Amino acid sequence: MHEPEGRLSETRSHTRRRFLALAGAAGAVGLAGCGGDGGDSGNGDSGGDGGGSDGGDGDGGDTDDDGGSTDGSPSDLGSVTVGVVNPITGAYSSLGPGQRNGAKLAVSQINDSDEYDLELDAVYEDTGTEAGAAQQSAQKVVQEDGAQYLFGAISSSVALSLNEFAAQEEFIYFPGGAAVPITGQACNEWVFRVETNTAQVAEAISAYTVNNLGSNVWFHIADYAYGDSVYNRTKSRMQAANDDFTEVGKTASELGSSNFGSFITQIGNSEADAAILGMTGGDLINFVNQAAEEGLKDQVALVGPTMSFLVVRGATKGNAVGTFGGVRYTAALDTGDNGQFVDAFNSEYDATPDNFERVGYDSLRLIAKGMQEAGSTDPADARDALAGGTFTTVLGDVTLREGDHQATNPTWMSEMVAGDGELAAVDLLEKTEGEEALPPASELGCEMG
Amino acid sequence: MSAVANAAEQLLNGVTLGMVYVLLAAGLSIIFGVMDVINFSHGELFALGAYFALSLVDPLGANLGFPVALVVAPLAVGVVGVAIERFTVRPLYGRNPLYHILLTFGLVLIINDVIRFTWGQQQQQLAVPAVLSQPVGAFGVRVAVYNLFMIAIAALLAAGTWLALNRTRYGMVVRAGSQDREMVRNVGIDIDRYYTLVFGFGAALAAVGGIVLGGYQNVNPNMGGSVIIPAFIIVVLGGLGSFRGAVFGGLLVGVVQTLTRTYLPVLEGLTVFLLMIAVLLLKPQGLFGNPEWGGGGDEEGELLVGAYGGVFAAGTRRRLGVLAVAGLAVFPVVATVTDNGFYVTLANTMLVWALFALSLDFVMGSAGLVSLGHAMFFGVGAYAGALALLHLAPSFLVALLAAVLVPAALAWVVGSLSIRVSGVYFAMITLAFAELVYSAVFKVEFTGGSDGLLGFDALLGLAGVGPRLSEIELTVAGVTVGSSVVFYYVALALAVGTLLVARRFMNAPFGSVLQSIGESDERAAFVGYDVTRYKRRAFVISGAIAGLAGGLLAVNPDTFVISPDQTLHWINSGEVIVMTLLGGMGTLFGPMIGAGVFIGAEDILSSHTEQWRMIIGAVFVVFVLFVPRGLVSVPALLARRLGSDEGDPPLGVEDREVNADD
Amino acid sequence: MTDGTGATGTREGPVLETAGLTKQFGELLAVDSVDLAVERGEFRSVIGPNGAGKTTLFNCITGAMTPTSGTVRFDGEDVTDLPPHERVRRGLGRSFQITNIFGGLTVRENVRLAAQSVLDDDMTVREEMLRDKETFDHINDRTTGVLEQVGLADRAEELAETLAYGDQRRLEIGIVLATDPELVLLDEPTAGMSSEETRATIDLIEDVLADRTLMLIEHDIDLVMEVSDRVTVLTRGEVLATGDPAEIAADEDVREAYLGGVRA
Repeated sequence: MHEPEGRLSETRSHTRRRFLALAGAAGAVGLAGCGGDGGDSGNGDSGGDGGGSDGGDGDGGDTDDDGGSTDGSPSDLGSVTVGVVNPITGAYSSLGPGQRNGAKLAVSQINDSDEYDLELDAVYEDTGTEAGAAQQSAQKVVQEDGAQYLFGAISSSVALSLNEFAAQEEFIYFPGGAAVPITGQACNEWVFRVETNTAQVAEAISAYTVNNLGSNVWFHIADYAYGDSVYNRTKSRMQAANDDFTEVGKTASELGSSNFGSFITQIGNSEADAAILGMTGGDLINFVNQAAEEGLKDQVALVGPTMSFLVVRGATKGNAVGTFGGVRYTAALDTGDNGQFVDAFNSEYDATPDNFERVGYDSLRLIAKGMQEAGSTDPADARDALAGGTFTTVLGDVTLREGDHQATNPTWMSEMVAGDGELAAVDLLEKTEGEEALPPASELGCEMG
Repeated sequence: MSAVANAAEQLLNGVTLGMVYVLLAAGLSIIFGVMDVINFSHGELFALGAYFALSLVDPLGANLGFPVALVVAPLAVGVVGVAIERFTVRPLYGRNPLYHILLTFGLVLIINDVIRFTWGQQQQQLAVPAVLSQPVGAFGVRVAVYNLFMIAIAALLAAGTWLALNRTRYGMVVRAGSQDREMVRNVGIDIDRYYTLVFGFGAALAAVGGIVLGGYQNVNPNMGGSVIIPAFIIVVLGGLGSFRGAVFGGLLVGVVQTLTRTYLPVLEGLTVFLLMIAVLLLKPQGLFGNPEWGGGGDEEGELLVGAYGGVFAAGTRRRLGVLAVAGLAVFPVVATVTDNGFYVTLANTMLVWALFALSLDFVMGSAGLVSLGHAMFFGVGAYAGALALLHLAPSFLVALLAAVLVPAALAWVVGSLSIRVSGVYFAMITLAFAELVYSAVFKVEFTGGSDGLLGFDALLGLAGVGPRLSEIELTVAGVTVGSSVVFYYVALALAVGTLLVARRFMNAPFGSVLQSIGESDERAAFVGYDVTRYKRRAFVISGAIAGLAGGLLAVNPDTFVISPDQTLHWINSGEVIVMTLLGGMGTLFGPMIGAGVFIGAEDILSSHTEQWRMIIGAVFVVFVLFVPRGLVSVPALLARRLGSDEGDPPLGVEDREVNADD
Repeated sequence: MTDGTGATGTREGPVLETAGLTKQFGELLAVDSVDLAVERGEFRSVIGPNGAGKTTLFNCITGAMTPTSGTVRFDGEDVTDLPPHERVRRGLGRSFQITNIFGGLTVRENVRLAAQSVLDDDMTVREEMLRDKETFDHINDRTTGVLEQVGLADRAEELAETLAYGDQRRLEIGIVLATDPELVLLDEPTAGMSSEETRATIDLIEDVLADRTLMLIEHDIDLVMEVSDRVTVLTRGEVLATGDPAEIAADEDVREAYLGGVRA
């Protein structure tokens, strides 16, 4: 993913401060010819610009029909502002740009396609390094830019706070985080999640690990919400799957630790057959690299729910070979319209999409499909259309199930094997179907009215 | 596996980590010892080393590229270090180390953005030669060859540095310079030239650390930020300016961290800070420190407090103040009428931070207490407020009361302990306390851990009566006023009220004593003031104001979460120092303006460019070099430039009068 | 000693007494078993070669340093363990070898702060925190009086750091005076001055501090001999001799160890 910015139209540049819209209302409406009479969302000012700047991405191979939107072909629902907030700086900055690129691809496809009677006018913001900044960004796109649809965030703290924001302001929010409570205890009617949650992945890796890799399991987690949730979910699923399951030990490192030597030594010197690594990003990468150098891989099966992530494989290279991981998504899947997604992404960014790109892509598509289905850009109508609806995604047909608005994504167990290049390849071992992977909403703590 | 072998492996792990710390801390410590520079950008230079190496290893391959990188990359970073010293640090010698914080904070933002822009956001792997990446075993102890390699490289460099400092003429001059700069100058040695090289050398050492550690874990843009605090802890623990101290401190911290993880996991993340606090309290200049360095509060270089008014007469000043408040009072009306509600939300954030900056200036601008841990009071205030809303009563008054009282009590405890050390050590011990609080938040249940606290909501009233602050909508003259606007007026009233009370304090006998303490601790004691008592009282008031700011954050209807990084992270302490200096230290209102400008600039810039951090960083650098007295001095500076060409009037003739009148 | 009449003591006996006062830095005995008794109203000078321990002795008496052993009694009371500010409030003032004033504050504020320190006992917390510092009449009166005494009244609104060096030393004496001390320790108040400035400063001291007990560290031996009631000679931390100027001038040991060495 080189130079992710700038290849698609930089949508941020054509959003206006609302006072401009007000100050020059007449002029703005005149400009927004393509908004048509249906442009009742109060954002008609940006539609015309959006079409115009689409012309700038001429190098995108598959978007050669963008003449359609510059012509101002009428869309019944008009232009809808969507906020896309991703971590471009801070702890999740290695994942945020991918999330954003997926969303951008969806926006350009939707705006170029005749299937949708609407245009998305996306506004992008950085969620920054912490929840306060994220909240500020979200407030900006909602209050200043008038977005009634919001996608983004990865950290569970940020997603949970945006959950509350969505409920208070009554807009639709598609979170990017995987923590269970986002559609669990903290669920609400305005929140829909396309991202696969930790419980769904745990379902895929727990039984396989305890039945095939060994029943003596060590848990090492990063000491924060995600790590805790991996521990709780995988442990309880393992207990259910195999009576011989034994928790040999449990260790926790601070989030953002750089040195795992002492944990690796402890695990290596124990009776463990397998170790569940409840961490992600830099923590997981450092652990795997250091474990490989100390030879831990040869002694213990290392299983990480996010081991198959491209960022992890990219920064561990050969060190990942021989480890195991849960799979939320991989480009090699033949589910749904994944082939089309991978090709389009590849030609747009000259890169292979991964889970966060997929989440961005399908979240934006489902936002559009929700409005399309409802025949309205009103968030309440879209909400009713989305809840319980089944949609075609790159993971196949999934349902945003009624009880908690969690997508019923399938999950896989995989082993990292030597690939063609430096990167380890993902070898899928076992698939867990969507309905099986997702525990009942009540079990996950969602009590939606 | 025997317990002994296990312990041996753990010890080896600790030594490995410790040796990397040594590389990082040695340069930092020498730089401080010789030139009194608190170099926050040291971590970024460390990261830069790893990235330069990455660029060499990729085309050359691991077996050739890694050894080449180990030589070339540190040299390149050394050159960067030389340039930094030459063009930015040098003009600041003789000023209080505080200005180095602002300067190097700016450099952090610049270098970090350059790294992101050049090498991308992703974690990357720095490939190491195959011979190094395998385990070996002996006597039942397994260890990675790479660990041994890291220890060897670091030991070699540490020994070389020691020899260079002790056995060469160059090293002698550097050491002499760290003891008594004037003396070295008087014997006719151009010490500035040595400074440049020392800075470059320190940067190169850090770069080696970055490369070696990069090969062990991964290379990413956040790696600099994650090592800088441990590095400071080590430097202070060992004794600022002491090479021996850096080596010993690095190893100690490495071993203690590793052993804590294994044998006392509850205390992980806490032991190092506890260790540092204990050492500073027992031996204020660190384990190997020279008491002449940094300890004496009087010889720290000049603190340039903001211009108080400058070109304006007292009457004009008062009128301007009234005008400003009037403008702020009508702002939400204008924003609401023009449908720019977001700007009210933004202004609310500014008001919260303005109070926070005021709290810092109250102790820093007057008594010269540079607290690097002020986020602890802000954060504890926010948590206390949110917890009060969740568990006591959903009233904003109760929340604010809790947010003032709890941090005030904390400030009394922290202040009582910290005030026993002064200068840079005070900054560091407050940082350690703040990090302790930050770590502790993850360890207890009631704070919500990394997710923080959610689901609190304030009522505009007492004891459960009154409307929910977040649901208030008033219609005034046909205009609907939302909860943000109501909060805005509450926050504005509190900010202005607190400013007025703080000024009363400053103009009263109490404040005059604080100012005398800021001028000279020693003289203040010898005219008969109990310096400790005054400092502690000021610190408690400051903590209470910071807590109030945090409490306001919690009751803000647009706040949905109070989380650790948002409130308690050390970056917040750094930012509030930056705001204070940016606005004009020692004026109370200047830092409030600084906070508003900082947040506004951040918001505007981040909407227009992804490189906004670099721009902000550059602004800091320019400010510290050219506008050291902050924004409030700009009118005076301009008047001077535009007016006659008399040159600068003597320092402070009209602008060092701190709160002497209104 | 806060009633403004500190100049005349109420008790009998020496105002300052040290017994076995010792300060050790590692191997070095900077002050070695010093026994001193300074009478009320006396002008005592302390002389000795560089490194004799004069400033360290002052530091132990004023509380800037804690002695390794021995006691300091002031006005009959054991003050060995009291912090400096407590001693100031009991009437023990000092000036410093290196000019030590509040450079960033006005001349007036420098003196006012000193006056405030000894006149704030009846101040309520409310007044201390909230009342304008310029509205305390008794403090202002003292301030104005002292400024006139030291001849800085017409420079009162200037920043102290902008004063000429000699004026800064005068200000320092003013600061000490404003704390209304019974005993004043002056550590080389004329360091770095020309002989005329030195003369003027000593005259000022004799003038404004005439009714106090004085202890002076001074290098100008002629001056010391002229103004002192008694002189203590310190070498290597020990008291070599104490006596009136004539006795000291005649003392063989002193001549040999000190006067001879310096002046021959």
